Amino acid sequence: MLIDFIQQIFNGLVVGSIYTLIALGLTTIFGILGIAHFAHGSVAMFGGYLTYFLISALGIGLLPSFILAMAVGALLGVVLERVAYYPVRNAPPINSFIIALGLTLIIEKLNLLAFGIDQVIIPTPFVNVINIGGVTMPELRIYVLVIAAILVIGMTLLIQRTWIGMAVRAVAQNRLAAVLMGINVNSVSMFVFALSSALGVAAGVLVGALFAVAPGVSSGLVIKGFAVLILGGLGSIPGAIVGGMVLGVSEAFAAAFVSSAYKDVISFLLMILVLLVRPEGLMRRSSR
Amino acid sequence: MWTRFAIVAVIAAAIVFPLFVTVNYFIHLAILAMIFMIVAQGANVIQGYTGYVSIAQGAFMGIGAYASALLSMRAGFPVWLSMLVAPAITAVAAAIAGYPSLRVKGHYFAIVTLAMNMVVFIVLVNWISLTKGEPGLPSIPSPEAINLGFIEIAFEKRRAFYYLALAALVLVMWIVAAVVRSRVGRVLLAIRQNETFAEAAGIACWKYKLFAFIFSASLAGFGGAIYAHYMGFINPTPFSADASLNAILAVILGGSGTLTGPLIGGALTVILPEALRVAEIYRLIAYGLLLILVVIFLPRGLVPAMVDGVRSITGRGKKAP
Repeated sequence: MLIDFIQQIFNGLVVGSIYTLIALGLTTIFGILGIAHFAHGSVAMFGGYLTYFLISALGIGLLPSFILAMAVGALLGVVLERVAYYPVRNAPPINSFIIALGLTLIIEKLNLLAFGIDQVIIPTPFVNVINIGGVTMPELRIYVLVIAAILVIGMTLLIQRTWIGMAVRAVAQNRLAAVLMGINVNSVSMFVFALSSALGVAAGVLVGALFAVAPGVSSGLVIKGFAVLILGGLGSIPGAIVGGMVLGVSEAFAAAFVSSAYKDVISFLLMILVLLVRPEGLMRRSSR
Repeated sequence: MWTRFAIVAVIAAAIVFPLFVTVNYFIHLAILAMIFMIVAQGANVIQGYTGYVSIAQGAFMGIGAYASALLSMRAGFPVWLSMLVAPAITAVAAAIAGYPSLRVKGHYFAIVTLAMNMVVFIVLVNWISLTKGEPGLPSIPSPEAINLGFIEIAFEKRRAFYYLALAALVLVMWIVAAVVRSRVGRVLLAIRQNETFAEAAGIACWKYKLFAFIFSASLAGFGGAIYAHYMGFINPTPFSADASLNAILAVILGGSGTLTGPLIGGALTVILPEALRVAEIYRLIAYGLLLILVVIFLPRGLVPAMVDGVRSITGRGKKAP
């Protein structure tokens, strides 16, 4: 029983780290630009497919493909911001929301045209399984956890320690004041989209290596990402990290001890529960 | 005066439509369009008039469809009765789901309702003993024939169903018009404009928001019930979040917060994809592009844009703010 318990915590943390990556992108875009970037899941899915394509069709190695796909993702993020979100930056939030829905459709169907409808698994050489006292830890899952952790720490450092990160935080705190201080809000927006989309692509690649990428994963990922945001508090980076882990572990428990068919219902129930008890999210002091 | 004339003219045109257009396929599309207009009008109540984007219309349509189908097939309800009870059941579901969800605003609400749609979809697929899951429910009965003494209306015929859908749509339009023009409707508009002010003016906004949500859901449930008995077969597929997005698209395309907008938008979202007649994939790409272009260039939708256009040509009436 205890072994089962630890096993599910491990499984949950691995999946939760992917949710965290998705949620980090969503939460920065939301916190800084106020956009519910619904197409984020589609960007992640695209990243997974692209990496698979780079490896299988062009024969590029796993790590270079991964990095290349993240770069392409960053570029895609900039394009999305410029072409679709920028024109409605001063309109009511519902407009950017609907733009996001349109983007989701477009990215997903273009992805279908480019890479087909089949689900693909990104091939990795990591097949060993480590067994510690009955808890099985496949090597691949450990790498997923480590990569996610590196990216999360990297992003946090970027936001907390660099000049551009300072600009991002300034815009998040007070947009007008930031403009008056000479910060170029447009480049901050583009930077945020680039960073977030690269993280989204990374999440898509990890999903593709761990499970599989298929046209259906995008909406699932983005809903989970938003569930994490609500759990942690919209716009909060620590919230995204804690929320992702909470959701991952709860789902793993639900799948193992309740029913795997209904495990996706857990994120909804958690969301409702948090909204009822702590509408500002687990990690925020007060709602805005 | 002119408005009333226009309404009568449109209804008259809709009544004679099947006499001139006898191609079954077009009548089929017209029926689907009218059903979807009902669903879109529901979305308009919450999205256009209250300003809360709900992404759960598809789920409520599904609840209505399954409720009506199951009541008539398993519980032996007459179809007419089950089509009326189904919206009530949908309303109960919406009340339960809406109460916690409406405690949050803006994006939070949209996200929660999207997740709600996902949950309903999962339940429809997995509650096999009730819904038969993915394969769906076959041979859902049509409404019983109506005997008016001199004429018997049987619903095996497509045309009879056309008039049923038309009657349902007119009824829905009449109810929605009455609601949005009432005090309740004005409160909903006040919530859309500035909820904090409305709250400060002493209005218990949550009651009105919950009402708008339940009302919009029961319209979707009603549309779903008609859909189930018209198609004779349902499975979870048409009730996914895509249907909800389509309803949102219909409202935005036509013009949110107008009574005629969802009619035009609903018709377009059903008929455009058929008219485009290209592969599913390209169709949806075109759709996505259309959505983005409309939001960027016609942020208020087709109907207000056309009204403005007509006014600027004729120079009559005041310009919309």
